[in-house]
Amino acid sequence: MAKNDPKTDDVILRVRDLKKKYGEKWAVKGISFDVHRGEVFGILGPNGAGKTTTLEMIETLREIDGGTAVLDGVDVAKHPWDIRYLIGVQPQSPSFQDKTKLTELLQMFAAAYGTRAHAHKLLEEVNLLDKAGSYVESLSGGQKQRFSIAAALVHNPKVFFLDEPTTGLDPQARRNLWELVEQVRDKGVTVIITTHYMDEAEVLCDRVAVMDKGKIIALDTPKNLVKNLLDKGFKKQQKVEQANLEDVFIELTGKALRD
Amino acid sequence: MKKKLFTVLIFVKISTRRFFRDRLALFFTIIFPLIFLFVFGGIFGKNSTLSFKVGILNHSDSAYSKQYVEELKKSSMFKVDSEVVDDTTAQEKMSRGEIDATIVLPADFGVVKNGQYPSGQAEVHYTQNNEQAGQTLVQVMSAQFQEINKKFVHADTPFTVEAKPIHTQGLSRFDYTFAGLLGFSIIGLGIFGPVNVFPELKKQGILRRLHTTPLRVWQYFSSTAISQAIVGLLTMAIMFVVAIAIFHLHVIGSWLALAAFLAFSIITILGIGLAIGGWAKNERQAAPLANIIVFPMLFLSGTFFPRYVMPEWLQKVSAWLPLTPVIDGIRMIATEGKTLLEIGPQIGLLTLWFVIIYVIAFRVFRWE
Repeated sequence: MAKNDPKTDDVILRVRDLKKKYGEKWAVKGISFDVHRGEVFGILGPNGAGKTTTLEMIETLREIDGGTAVLDGVDVAKHPWDIRYLIGVQPQSPSFQDKTKLTELLQMFAAAYGTRAHAHKLLEEVNLLDKAGSYVESLSGGQKQRFSIAAALVHNPKVFFLDEPTTGLDPQARRNLWELVEQVRDKGVTVIITTHYMDEAEVLCDRVAVMDKGKIIALDTPKNLVKNLLDKGFKKQQKVEQANLEDVFIELTGKALRD
Repeated sequence: MKKKLFTVLIFVKISTRRFFRDRLALFFTIIFPLIFLFVFGGIFGKNSTLSFKVGILNHSDSAYSKQYVEELKKSSMFKVDSEVVDDTTAQEKMSRGEIDATIVLPADFGVVKNGQYPSGQAEVHYTQNNEQAGQTLVQVMSAQFQEINKKFVHADTPFTVEAKPIHTQGLSRFDYTFAGLLGFSIIGLGIFGPVNVFPELKKQGILRRLHTTPLRVWQYFSSTAISQAIVGLLTMAIMFVVAIAIFHLHVIGSWLALAAFLAFSIITILGIGLAIGGWAKNERQAAPLANIIVFPMLFLSGTFFPRYVMPEWLQKVSAWLPLTPVIDGIRMIATEGKTLLEIGPQIGLLTLWFVIIYVIAFRVFRWE
């Protein structure tokens, strides 16, 4: 196959044999996957599976100890500063400096990329226009998550990473956040999301990779993963002909509690 | 490059604005050094001329004795405590150290004898722990009496001594104290500021979030430095206004040179705070390290008392501390009227520290 032209390549993120070592322990043991342009790609797995580490390597926050990740034609390890202009990042628990207005924070983030922010337009998109002049510490958990999305999109990134965005949110806030993620995707931004909520993955993700103990143990659309499980003769105890992604997940990773 | 500086500019603008919304930071940066200024100004401010706190017990009825007491009260050299009315109150006040000594005029003081001129012998009473003040007072009074004697009795005085001050702009104790207080203020702003703020920013993941953007460490450092320099210059302007208005500080140097030197000093000392705060993962790492570095400087660089009172070997060592050229430089420009060229050694040493401090700060900085 000829070398891919990043502009027309359908694959926006190509990860090959990616590895990360903490001390003597391999946290990520050589994983490979492709993310298609414009899709919502989920990375599922129990705590300690290596989801966050994988994300952080692609986000240039952690050094890559083996393998490659190429995002929009740019090698992450070789050109980390170029990568930062292409990605928007929503960390696990977003927080911002206090006593700073939302509009000012957006200006700061935009300035970090050397541009100016359309602060009010961004805030309107995440339903926070009435909070424009408030300090970030006056926002609720769900509002903070929404604001964090606005902050991650100030520079029109091509890929948007969300690390467990709905952990600790109430059902309403979760659903609201899902809608926002869909809006972002509809604008043509590729979304990569980690979660351990299966319903979230089922609703949002076009394709999911299931990780456990530093490896990808399954990768497909939620529908196919469920279908495969059913084809294997899986039956739920009470309902006869149905299984959801949660069943797939538990079947793949085992039932034991993780820390 | 223009874009990169734009980033710095916006960060400076917003973090400076943010600073003025932070009441606690405002208190520690502006009010706290002002309180010190009033405390130390009260102690050293009026000490530029010698003065004694005395009680006066006049047992004489003579017109001359009364006139003498009035003269003493008018004199700027004496602060007469009017609560001293008898031996008991005098004793009490002296033993408590409220007054330095008691001047006792006996019953025959100022009585005209021989029909020619008044005479008498005043007594100066002082306790043992006030011996120095007491003896100085005796000398001062003898000198005064000699002047008075000359008016009554003409006598030849073959040997005399006359005091002739050479420096019209002599340094008062307050000049040293004030430069030291500015040094103290720079430490508070430059070191304790970042040391308190950075671990908190790391704990909340705020720096980590910035780390996902193309923001460079130098951009972050320089925006912090510029913002702190603005805040610092403003703080010090307030301190100068208070020192000049209330404590009669005489500034004879160039204000422009002073501002430039202060800004450079703030940025250099801030590097220490950036290095500690940038290195530390949490408060528990930051606070002890900051104290180890700050306390020697506080006591040895001339912050609270001038370095000339130290033993010579200690002066030689403390001359190399980063805060020493700051305090010396401020004093030399402000009260001695030196130019930036004349304080070359101070600027040189400070530049050396600037390079060392920032090389370390960049090396050890961690975003999380």
